[in-house]
Amino acid sequence: MLAWRNLSRDPIRLLLSVAGVAVSIVLILLLVGYRSGIYAQASAYLDHAPGSALVAERGVADFFGTTSTLEPRVVEQVASLPGVAAAVPIVTQFVVFEEHGRKDGMFLVGYDPAKGGGPWRLAAGREPATDEEIVLDGVAAGQHGIGLGDRIRILDRDLAVVGLSEDTTFWSGSMAFARIGALETLLRAPGLRSFLLVTPTPGASLPSLTTAVSSLGADLVPKSTLIANDRRLLARVYDAPIGLMVAIAFVIGILVVGLVIYTSTVERRREYGALKAIGAGNRALYRVVATQALIAALLGAGSGAVLAVVGERALMAWRPQFRVEIDAATLVVVLASSLLMAAIASLVPARALAGLEPAEVLRS
Amino acid sequence: MTTTLAIRGVTKQFGHGATSVEAVRGVGLSVESGEVLLIMGPSGSGKSTLLSIMGALLRPTAGTVTLNGVAISQLPERDLPPVRLREFGFVFQDFNLLAALSALENVALVAELAGTARAEALRRAGELLTELGLAERVAFLPDQLSGGEKQRVAIARALINDPSVILADEPTANLDSSNGHEIMRTLRAVAKERGRSVVIVSHDQRIRDIADRVVWLEDGQLRDLMTMAVDPVCGMSVEHDRAVTLEQGGELRFFCSRGCRAEFLGELDGPAETRPARTGPLASLFQAVRPKTP
Repeated sequence: MLAWRNLSRDPIRLLLSVAGVAVSIVLILLLVGYRSGIYAQASAYLDHAPGSALVAERGVADFFGTTSTLEPRVVEQVASLPGVAAAVPIVTQFVVFEEHGRKDGMFLVGYDPAKGGGPWRLAAGREPATDEEIVLDGVAAGQHGIGLGDRIRILDRDLAVVGLSEDTTFWSGSMAFARIGALETLLRAPGLRSFLLVTPTPGASLPSLTTAVSSLGADLVPKSTLIANDRRLLARVYDAPIGLMVAIAFVIGILVVGLVIYTSTVERRREYGALKAIGAGNRALYRVVATQALIAALLGAGSGAVLAVVGERALMAWRPQFRVEIDAATLVVVLASSLLMAAIASLVPARALAGLEPAEVLRS
Repeated sequence: MTTTLAIRGVTKQFGHGATSVEAVRGVGLSVESGEVLLIMGPSGSGKSTLLSIMGALLRPTAGTVTLNGVAISQLPERDLPPVRLREFGFVFQDFNLLAALSALENVALVAELAGTARAEALRRAGELLTELGLAERVAFLPDQLSGGEKQRVAIARALINDPSVILADEPTANLDSSNGHEIMRTLRAVAKERGRSVVIVSHDQRIRDIADRVVWLEDGQLRDLMTMAVDPVCGMSVEHDRAVTLEQGGELRFFCSRGCRAEFLGELDGPAETRPARTGPLASLFQAVRPKTP
């Protein structure tokens, strides 16, 4: 009660402290959500593609970071290996796409629409029926002013846009889907296959399958490993700056709460001294200060969470290529962080109280 | 009457070496239940230090403090807050009420600190405030109360845990004359009607008449009040051997300064009849005061 009264006695200060924490929490949530979004985008293709493992060129351990080229005999023989229910070939290539003076990264996926491995959700149009057609990411198409039926130039060929896919933007651009034949022509590499999306038969032994693929001169890599390796690759780029910014936001939160609680404690030094003289123990006074910090931090965290969710939607509406994912687990972690914030922020005021001599109150 | 609080040979030294100061030197005192003890003395005489030692706020450098037979000066630091909470009631010069809490909550909080359930604490606080004439002001914040009302809330706060001893530090210093007397009458009633020991530190001469006993502290030591006199002009207590004197009509008068003596002489031609009234009761008070406690 005393903690709340002390805080609410100065509503402007309370508001400022709550706003300070809220801004810090918004920043933390958006940054963490942005990181989650990048990871989700990076694994979106593999999450939706058929199969649970990929056959890749020997030594290739990630999907986005390295070019994989499979020998034709590997492509032919994997499908007939015992334990393989399906092996869907795809061709992948990262290209730079330029239209209307704007350059963007494009991850081209060549696939067979009859077997799968193409776009998993279409916002408009259809899958490519010929080697002259392509499905573009809807967001990227919108940014370039491209619509269904338009023709775009990729490398040295013109392709007709017949479909717009959803959920296919990613950290360094967007994905586009064409038939395998289109990519063979574009890349001037007939028979090129980058990966096989492998679906093992039920009950098949993955180690045996791995050994069998290895004997063909390629690697069988579980999807989960590829996703983890792609994330590790992204982590090297994003985690340090995002982590630094999150840490700065966290420290700002601590400083805001700490400063407000410390100021309030110093201003009430005489009152706390009187309480100590009367017989309140340090623990009772710490509880008051810690509760004040907790109230400010929780109010800030609550408002911050609401603002962050609103901000997430606004940001994704404004810049759809940025995917921000604030999930319940992140909210729980951030809420726990705000408790930590409160605990750290109350250390200095608690120290000030501990040093308070009860006899001081008798010295006017 | 039984001895509630006793201090023996108490000394308090601040600092070390050449810069050390002895604020209290070998003081011995005891307070009975139902007694009002007034400790007087000039600024810097060690009154507040002595009160702090008596209330277990400060540990003496030497000597013992005994409360109801327990040597509280020997207790470890962690045991002192509960002693202060349950055995002492403090009344401060600046009231020191919590600005964010109402009068009722200020009083109840101290009971809650002592472990009383909130509802019971509020009930008892309400009763005490009503007894002290603040029934209509219980919901008011300290800022909305007058000085006298604040001090009555502070007295209620001091009484809520039914302590053995009430320690009051300059309780009238921030009050006007009328409120000051009201507070002193209340403190006296606390001693007489509740059988509590009340120790008041003050340099306010006006409150001597409510004390059962007055002791004079100067330079950290108790002085024999029988050797003290009151300046008839300014009302200050002065030692005989340091006072400026005036023999008049066979009677020796003591002044704190030549200025007071001059003023006194100047008024002899004017409204001199008003002066003896200031000295008379005080002089008789001195007669009633016990000699310095050994």
